[in-house]
Amino acid sequence: MYEWRSHTAEIELAIEAETEEQVFVDALAAFRELVALESDAASETRAVALEASDRASLLVEWLQELIFLADSESFVAQRADDLRLEDASLSATLVGARASFEPLVKAATYHGLRFAREGDIWQARVVLDV
Amino acid sequence: MFEPRRIDETLYEIPAEARKDMRVPARVFADEEILAAIRVDRSLEQLQNVATLPGIVDAAIAMPDIHQGYGFPVGGLAATELPDGVVSPGGVGYDINCGVRLLALPVDNEELGTRREPFVHEISRAVPAGAGREGGKRIDVQRILREGSSVVAERPDDVERTESEGRLDGADPGAVSERAKQRGGGQLGTMGSGNHFVEVQRVERIFDPTAAEAYGLSEGQVTVLIHSGSRGLGHQVCSDYVKQMDAVLGRYGISLPDRQLSCAPASSAEGRAYLAAMAAAANFAWANRQEIANRVRASVARVLGADTAEGTRQVYDVAHNVAKSERYGGRDVLVHRKGATRAFPAGSEEIPADYRAVGQPVFIPGSMGTASYVLAGEPGSMERSFGTTCHGAGRRLSRTAAKKEIQGAELRRQLARQGVVVRSASNKGLAEEAPFAYKDVDAVVDVVARAGLARRVARLVPIGVVKG
Repeated sequence: MYEWRSHTAEIELAIEAETEEQVFVDALAAFRELVALESDAASETRAVALEASDRASLLVEWLQELIFLADSESFVAQRADDLRLEDASLSATLVGARASFEPLVKAATYHGLRFAREGDIWQARVVLDV
Repeated sequence: MFEPRRIDETLYEIPAEARKDMRVPARVFADEEILAAIRVDRSLEQLQNVATLPGIVDAAIAMPDIHQGYGFPVGGLAATELPDGVVSPGGVGYDINCGVRLLALPVDNEELGTRREPFVHEISRAVPAGAGREGGKRIDVQRILREGSSVVAERPDDVERTESEGRLDGADPGAVSERAKQRGGGQLGTMGSGNHFVEVQRVERIFDPTAAEAYGLSEGQVTVLIHSGSRGLGHQVCSDYVKQMDAVLGRYGISLPDRQLSCAPASSAEGRAYLAAMAAAANFAWANRQEIANRVRASVARVLGADTAEGTRQVYDVAHNVAKSERYGGRDVLVHRKGATRAFPAGSEEIPADYRAVGQPVFIPGSMGTASYVLAGEPGSMERSFGTTCHGAGRRLSRTAAKKEIQGAELRRQLARQGVVVRSASNKGLAEEAPFAYKDVDAVVDVVARAGLARRVARLVPIGVVKG
């Protein structure tokens, strides 16, 4: 589950999920909403392997990868198959298609970045530069 | 939160004693009303965070258009002492060398007449807006990164009338990642999204006839203001180096209140690599605005004729997201300007000879549908703000709040009723940039004028907007 929080110039993504993996799945869903993708084509795949110093940074890297693929190849993922989280890495196969979409965000930032467990729920926050 | 104390009628300060980690005070140019608007969000807290950077000198300084950003606030500057003060990629921002360029046409609004709408339409066809790379010029990226705007300029006076002549020294394409080159490779000559635009304007009022004459501006004249940056290439350069510096903070014994401020000594391997990549991205941005200017001139030729295109003169091009090595009070400092504009006064060797008697031109876009200003740098900027003034009106409302207040289609109709032709890739994007989402540009400019940072030369009003 995700929602957009108010921020003067940028946009803040807040995610609550039952598992760490679900945080990344929800971040992908949020990204798809952001680019207002109407097509549900899933004709291409991209293998993704990311590394970062901690979970929060890994979430930034995940969003950066989605932005990079959209900006450089016009590729937007529908879903992530075989998503695997290790201590400091993530791998997945993105399934989607090249498409036209709404204007992009520039980047995912470290500002106010959070990825932590509260009771049974994983909470994450990340600010995106518009 | 420590109360900002009033230093004079346009300057407030939060002293360094307000927080244990602040090395210098945080200062903001504002009046009472603007300060009240600024205090609604967390921009002053972010400015205090900037005041903790190792090597920062004098103060973390904000302009009246300051608003909350990520890490650094937008609308501020930080000067760090060279060689060992830090460089922070977040202090420049993701859109490296985002900036504005003003073109002045040799026709007035009456002469443009009914050709206004076709002209705006032609620009919207010539300058791709929105996401991605469609419509970009295919170019030798390595050469653009090294040499900047001169590579694509069709006439030398455009380059002469560009800050730093459209090229920063020390650019190294090798410091720019392949991913950055992949993102930017096909985007040259495209506007991008967010608050980027190409606006057709009319000079409504001249305040300083001498400077206006030097800049080639007169009342009623048609101008075109271009706002864009380094596109995906710059975004990726910033992303790459924020991550790199975040990983080496411990090595340099740096502790920060916000990870997005990640930084390294300018003299370190990471610092030098970032500055070389940033210079390359800045050169890409100048080339991008140059290619957009070429396309606008081609639109002028198609709608108004070749002679009018030939007579379309570039007034100037200024960066508002960049870090530059400059000298103040006998010290070499690295001035990070994030949403802030260089504003050198008359006599500066850094500005074109034609303008040296009146000062450097500065352009302050208002919000869409409201006025923009042409200013000239004043001596106060050198004494009080490291040669810097504001860069725009500054956001007041979040994008979400703006969209709640108005829909893009309705805003388009309202602007049409005001006599502004609008072309936009996205209704959502249009609503996010609604005029009421920004502070009053007249009030912002009034503060920098009273503070002696820059003086008013001309006020421009929009007659057509192409939105990213």
